[in-house]
Amino acid sequence: MNQFTFTGRERMVLLSLIVLGALCLAGTYFVEPATMTVMNHGHEETVSTYHMRFWSNFLQNSVYFLGMAFVAMFGYCAFITAYGGWFSGMKRLWEAYALWMGPALIMMAVLVAGVFFHWHHLYHWNAEGVLDPTDAHYDEIIAGKSAFLNKYWYAASALIFVGIWYFITLRIRSISVAEDSADVGDYSYHGRARNWMAAYLPFVAFTSAIFIWQLMMSIDAHWYSTMYAWNATASFFVGMLSLTVLMLIYLKSRGYYPNVTENHMHDIGKYLFGFSVFWTYTWFSQYMLIWYSNNGEETIYFLTRRDQYPILFYGNLVINFVLPFLILIRNSSKRKFGTIGLVAAITFFGHWFDIFYMIKPGALINIAGSQEAATELGSVAGYWFPGLLELGAFIGFTALFIYFTFSKLSQASLVPEKDPYYGESVTHHVI
Amino acid sequence: MEGHKDVLFGLYDDEDDLIHAIQKAQKDHLDIHDVFTPFPVHGLDEVMGLSESRLHIAGFVYGALGTLTAFLFMSWVFTRDWPIIFGGKPYWSVPAFIPITFELTVLFSCVGMVITYYTVCGMGPGADNPTLHDRITDDKFCLAFNVSDSSKEEIDSLKGFLSGTGATELNIKTI
Repeated sequence: MNQFTFTGRERMVLLSLIVLGALCLAGTYFVEPATMTVMNHGHEETVSTYHMRFWSNFLQNSVYFLGMAFVAMFGYCAFITAYGGWFSGMKRLWEAYALWMGPALIMMAVLVAGVFFHWHHLYHWNAEGVLDPTDAHYDEIIAGKSAFLNKYWYAASALIFVGIWYFITLRIRSISVAEDSADVGDYSYHGRARNWMAAYLPFVAFTSAIFIWQLMMSIDAHWYSTMYAWNATASFFVGMLSLTVLMLIYLKSRGYYPNVTENHMHDIGKYLFGFSVFWTYTWFSQYMLIWYSNNGEETIYFLTRRDQYPILFYGNLVINFVLPFLILIRNSSKRKFGTIGLVAAITFFGHWFDIFYMIKPGALINIAGSQEAATELGSVAGYWFPGLLELGAFIGFTALFIYFTFSKLSQASLVPEKDPYYGESVTHHVI
Repeated sequence: MEGHKDVLFGLYDDEDDLIHAIQKAQKDHLDIHDVFTPFPVHGLDEVMGLSESRLHIAGFVYGALGTLTAFLFMSWVFTRDWPIIFGGKPYWSVPAFIPITFELTVLFSCVGMVITYYTVCGMGPGADNPTLHDRITDDKFCLAFNVSDSSKEEIDSLKGFLSGTGATELNIKTI
C-alpha cells in the first residue's frame, strides 16, 4: 500500500476532537474574569486580565506545534546532509509535519496582529508607556532592551523567519514529490533537495533561537538565559519524535509502512532517549548556573517557579527525564512497540507540559504587574496547572495537526521508492 | 598436549560468505568451534544463536553504585564530616552535587564494565590469547572447527566444506 487513504471515520473522529478543542479554547476566553484584584506595592489594584488565559493557551499550542514542525524539518535535513538513509522510507511523515508551518503562519499572524493592535498583553514590553521615561509605567530594563524587544522584531521572527523556513520546506517537499516520477538511478532530485537542506540548517539554527526568544522568553522580559532556546528546541524535538513514534504505530496498525520495523523504532527510540537526556542537561544547567551565581534578577525567575509552581517544576523533571530515562535505557524497550508507545505518549504530553511551564507563570506575572503581586494571587485557574480547558485545547490542536498530517500524507505516495537511500532504509538493521 | 587443541580454520574475504557458511554448517550439523571477525558483523549473533550480552545490566548496576557513592559521600562530607558554607548556599546543596554525581556514575559504569568484560572474556594483562591468523584483525573472516579428536577423513570433509563455501585459505593450528 503506497497510497495513504484518509478514511471518513478518521476525519469524523479528528473533526469532532477539533471542535472539542475549539470549544475549550473559546471557553478559556469566557470563563476567565475580565479583571483581577491584586496587591501591588501595598495597595489594592484592579487589573484587566486581557483574556490572558485564552492568549497564553493559544500561544503555547501554536508554538509547540510550530516548533515540532520546524524541528521535524531540521532533523530530516540534518540526517540527509549527514548521508543518513535509515529513515527515508518514512520521510513523508516528517515532510507532512514540516508543512504544518503553513497553518502555523496564520496563527503567528494572529499573534503578531495582537501585538500591533494590543489585543493581548502576553508581552509586557509591548505595554503602553514602558518606554517613556516620564510615564509611571516606565521600565528601565525593558527600555534598554527595546532595540530587540519590539513589535517589528517580533513580526520579523514570527512571520519572516517562519515564512522563509516554510518556503524552503515547500521547495524540498516539491522536489521530493517530483522524485517519485524520476527515472531509476536519477539522483539529481536528491542533490537539489540537499542544496536547499544545506541552506535550511544554518538559517533555522540561528533564527529559531531568535524566534524562541521573541515568542517565549520575552514573556519574562526582565529575565534571559542563553540556554533557553536550546531547552525549548530540545523540547520540540522530543515532542516531534514522540508523535512520530505514535503515528508510526498507528499507521502500521492500519497496514501501512510494512518496511518500517522495530529497527527503525529502535533508532527513533535512541533519539528520543538521547534528546530527553539532552533536554534535562539544558534544563538543569540553566537552573544550576543561575542558582549558583545567585544574581537577584536571574534567581527570581526560578525562585517563583520552584516555590509557587512546584508541580510544574518537579513534575516536568519526572515526566520528561526520570520516566523516559528509566524506561528506555534498556535496548529491548526501544524495540517493543507497546513500551516505546507508552514513553512517546508520556513525553508528547510532557513537553507540552514543559512549554506550559515556560509560558504560564510569566503570563500571570504580566497580568498582575509584578512578581510579588503574582505570588499574592496564589494558584489561579489555568496558570498553576493545566486545567481541563487547557487539556481540551491541547487535544484540539493535536487533532488539527494530525488531520493536517493525514491530508498531506494522502497527497503524495506514502513510501518514496525512488529515494536513493530507500534501499538502505528497507534493509536497516540495528542489532 | 594437555589443554591444547588442534583448530582447523578457513578464512573468508567477505562477511556474507561467512554468514552463509555458518548457516550451511548448522544445516549440516557441524560443530563450530568459534568465529572471528575484524569488526562486529550485523546478524552474526542471531545466526550463531548467541544470547544477548548481559554486560549492560552490569553497567547499570555499576552506574547506580557510582550515583550512590558520589551522592552519599558528598552528603556525608558536607553535612557531617566537614560542613563548609560555599557562596551562602546551604550545607546540603543538591544542585551542586549533581555534576560530580553524574561524573562518578559514568566513571563507575565504564570502568566496571571494562573490568567485567576483560574478566569474563579471559582477556587483559597476562592472559594467553593465541591468534589463529594475523589478518583476522584486519580484513579476513574466520570460521574455526576443533579437530583435536577428528580422523583424517573428518578433517578432509571439513576442509571440503570450507573451500566449498568460499574460504580462500585453510590451515590447521595447535593452540
